[in-house]
Amino acid sequence: MSAHQQGTELDLSWISKIQVNKPAVLRRAEQIQARRPVKKEWQAAWLLKAVTCIDLTTLSGDDTASNIQRLCYKAKYPIREDLLKALNMHDKGITTAAVCVYPARVCDAVRALKAAGCDIPVASVATGFPAAQTHLKTRLEEIRLAVEDGATEIDVVINRTLVLTGQWKALYDEIRQFRKACGEAHLKTILATGELGSLTNVYKASMIAMMAGSDFIKTSTGKETVNATFPVAIVMLRAIRDFFWKTGNKVGFKPAGGIRSAKDSLVWLSLIKEELGDEWMKPELFRIGASTLLADIERQIYHHVTGRYAAYHDLPMS
Amino acid sequence: MAATRTASRACEIFTTLEYGPAPESHACALAWLDTQDRHLGHYVNGQWLKPEHRSSVPCQDPITGENLASCLQAQSEDVAAAVEAARASLENWSTQPGAIRAQHLTRLAKVIQKHQRLLWTLESLVTGRAVREVRDRDVPLAQQLLQYHAVQAHTQEEALAGWEPMGVIGLILSPTFPFLDMMWRICPALAVGCTVVVLVPPASPTPLLLAQLAGELGPFPGILNVISGPASLGPVLAAQPGVQKVAFCGAIEEGRALRRTLAGWVPELGLALGAESLLLLTEVADVDSAVEGIVDAAWSDRSPGGLRLLIQEAVWDETMRRLQERMGRLRCGHGLDGAVDMGARGAAARDLAQRYVSEAQSQGAQVFQAGSEPSDSPFFPPTLVSDLPPASPCTQAEVPWPLVVASPFRTAKEALAVANGTPRGGSASVWSERLGQALELAYGLQVGTVWINAHGLRDPAVPTGGCKESGSSWHGGQDGLYEYLRPSGTPAWIPYLSKTLNYDAFGLALPSTLPAGPETGPAPPYGLFVGGRFQAPGARSSRPIQDSQGSLQGYVAEGGAKDIRGAVEAAHQAAPGWMSQSPAARAALLWALAAALQRREPNLVSRLERHGVELKVAKAEVELSVKRLRAWGARVQAQGCALQVAELRGPVLRLREPLGVLAIVCPDEWPLLAFVSLLAPALAHGNTVVLVPSGACPIPALEVCQEMATLLPAGLVNVVTGDRDHLTRCLALHQDIQALWYFGSAQGSQFVEWASAGNLKPVWVNRGCPRAWDQEAEGAGPELGRRAARTKALWLPMGD
Repeated sequence: MSAHQQGTELDLSWISKIQVNKPAVLRRAEQIQARRPVKKEWQAAWLLKAVTCIDLTTLSGDDTASNIQRLCYKAKYPIREDLLKALNMHDKGITTAAVCVYPARVCDAVRALKAAGCDIPVASVATGFPAAQTHLKTRLEEIRLAVEDGATEIDVVINRTLVLTGQWKALYDEIRQFRKACGEAHLKTILATGELGSLTNVYKASMIAMMAGSDFIKTSTGKETVNATFPVAIVMLRAIRDFFWKTGNKVGFKPAGGIRSAKDSLVWLSLIKEELGDEWMKPELFRIGASTLLADIERQIYHHVTGRYAAYHDLPMS
Repeated sequence: MAATRTASRACEIFTTLEYGPAPESHACALAWLDTQDRHLGHYVNGQWLKPEHRSSVPCQDPITGENLASCLQAQSEDVAAAVEAARASLENWSTQPGAIRAQHLTRLAKVIQKHQRLLWTLESLVTGRAVREVRDRDVPLAQQLLQYHAVQAHTQEEALAGWEPMGVIGLILSPTFPFLDMMWRICPALAVGCTVVVLVPPASPTPLLLAQLAGELGPFPGILNVISGPASLGPVLAAQPGVQKVAFCGAIEEGRALRRTLAGWVPELGLALGAESLLLLTEVADVDSAVEGIVDAAWSDRSPGGLRLLIQEAVWDETMRRLQERMGRLRCGHGLDGAVDMGARGAAARDLAQRYVSEAQSQGAQVFQAGSEPSDSPFFPPTLVSDLPPASPCTQAEVPWPLVVASPFRTAKEALAVANGTPRGGSASVWSERLGQALELAYGLQVGTVWINAHGLRDPAVPTGGCKESGSSWHGGQDGLYEYLRPSGTPAWIPYLSKTLNYDAFGLALPSTLPAGPETGPAPPYGLFVGGRFQAPGARSSRPIQDSQGSLQGYVAEGGAKDIRGAVEAAHQAAPGWMSQSPAARAALLWALAAALQRREPNLVSRLERHGVELKVAKAEVELSVKRLRAWGARVQAQGCALQVAELRGPVLRLREPLGVLAIVCPDEWPLLAFVSLLAPALAHGNTVVLVPSGACPIPALEVCQEMATLLPAGLVNVVTGDRDHLTRCLALHQDIQALWYFGSAQGSQFVEWASAGNLKPVWVNRGCPRAWDQEAEGAGPELGRRAARTKALWLPMGD
């Protein structure tokens, strides 16, 4: 993985004037879903690209070592070998981008991946996921413990209270401390956009998170009532572009929650292509947080290769 | 083998991540053309009409140049046959209950729904426009239009009581958006009970397909007839007996020419001209979203024309950077590809754009184009023109598709001045996050449609139209319905065309007047009432006014061209103040004038008596005049409304705005009542007025002026006496008068129609027919109110 995004000094003038017009963003979001259909071979190739961008995730109360192991195996072999062969993609090292688990399951995941003999990174959520309503001290400790256990990517949630009350400096300082606690690990900052109140706040929070040194900004925890939506994504992507234009630093983007169909994943890729360009269409800068998406993509690939629709038992479960 | 190729392809795409083709199959469009043996005629009276010995033009795919079919060109006989069919079915169609017409329109909506793929592939194939736009917007909109107007037809008897269908409507379409343009106009026309003959430009099969779908529905085959032919057939269509209105959509100059040609020919001519739009981007806008608005407005195959873009200086650099970045991601390609933003529109549109670009460059403009197309390619790339010198001819010319011409402004006030500084007044959008500023700009723009923080939204319930040279015809909403209605009992239209009328000479010479002896009785007020006081005429001469006995009643001032000029200037000066008055203040002033008239009754009655009006009638005339002023004063309050539409969260405001300076030439009859009946609605709607009173009996009007001198703001009403033909000529040719009502001779009417082509001001003429000013319907009916103001639709999206 590349070096970290260092962030910048806090500059509140970058967010003071910003205006996001929600109805206009909603219209754009509607358009993007209908303007770039991807078909045939293009669809197959794009879907495989989507697979390589997935953070294969399980965040449940009933996770145990066994289903974590199964998840890790699926991360290594996301698409049935014969299907990849048919596309001549079997030797391209198609795996998901990472697996994403709760801090207490990091050890299980690291062990399982080592056993499978691959170097897929393990991402851990942290900082009082999903509500972030715990003391800063314990939130920081959580990050350190996850890193000690072998997580190389940390998905932290921000403190929504600070956004809703406009304490941007305090938010910047907190994320700075998360950054420090991560050490060598990558910092992905979850904005929990469903709870920020307005798209203008989404833009501001994105900008603060990037200034504070996040490697990725992520839409949501998957636990809020509203998760990854296209309007929110458009605002975040515009913030990423603005930050890139101002600093030259490329920050990644990760939508999570509610992305279930292969078709959705194609729209997400075309959205990235349209708003940020081809450079961002790779796992270093784009991730999809999902659990069931992979199964649908595999079914679509099955159909592309065989011309038949698969039954669920045709494909291995994760 | 094939599998391997596919496989390696996928492997390659995995790296490049390029877009692939996403073609929409147009097999059904070709199959439909095959049913006509690739040979299209006209669709008249429920069947195909393919007369022999006609020339034909090829219908080509504008991108591949492939010949799709040949289309017959209509000749006069074919036009006559179509009008005859429409005329024959008019009686039956217009007397059907609204509910039956509603049913018929609903059935047509369902047919469109069932055959939508055929419609959208055919339209995209022959026009070259992106299929996404036709599929996702045009065809659904066509269905919504039919449904909306079905509801209007259903409630017609109640909601539109007092109005009747005009009759046979001739519709002339432009080559750019024939299908949608046609739907916007045939729906209201058919809904209210008119029948239609559509003249489509050669090689436009979609309107023919629609006519076929409608014709095959059965019971009313002749209500929609489509003939294809050159634009030169327009006057032929207009001249057919029975055609009551011609509606024209197309280029401004074509519309102007048609206005001149058809002067005195048709009772009504509705013009919807030009295609340019305007986008105003302030420094407090969401710039990224505004850039998407620009894409919507110019580069998504949604609008027929180009865009003028005004950017506040503070965000100029930022906007340009974002816009150019965005342009780099636009995709041009075959219209039937589902993943392109823009198709091609044929050689004519491309050449027009190329000419504009070359000229702009020669005048020193910067031109930015995304991607470069070879010069023989059918495509023209999205183009951004900036730094055009303000005085260059290109700045004044209409911006063609697919160009965006950007220029900076400093303040909101300056933006309004620049935006309103063109003869066109179609549609505009304002991008600002400050509600107060956005509304101020929206109200100030002289256009028919304003979107706040959006561009190009449409809905059947929202009236769409324009002002100034964009023409004053409307489609959609209530306003669209009235385009095809006239007050019940309007006498049948008798064509009057004086071929000998010399437009260059009409009213040119000012007849010289000589003294006719001393005045008997009290001398009437003397002078031209301009700018709030009586002034001596520029010609420094007077004309005698005889009473009914033939003896001299008094002298009135002989007004001329210079006096008209002065009066229009005074009216313009008074306009902003009067426009900004609250409705209550306007009402109060009209009522005060009514009271003043009442006080002056004996005086007015005696003036009318000397003119030969019976005492009883004279008294009634004054009384009725007082009543008119009161009635319009009361109606001032009820204007404008908010609409709720499907595509938008938030209201659409339908505003009724003053026309500006309204010129009125009063009839000779009813010297007081007609004067007041015309003046009152004009003032009530916020216009300022230049008025020529009755020629035979101008004195009562001048008496009223004496009251107005003390009551009304200076310049609000200006009354110029003199030779009516001469004054009419001056008014009709004046470029800065926004509308003209003429009540006089048939020749005068014809001249007014001809001369109005100069600035395309809306005119209302009586063609020499007297009007019953003492009757409620004709003297104070809703028709006057409708003509005294213009509509503006203001879209206000909400959400945060």
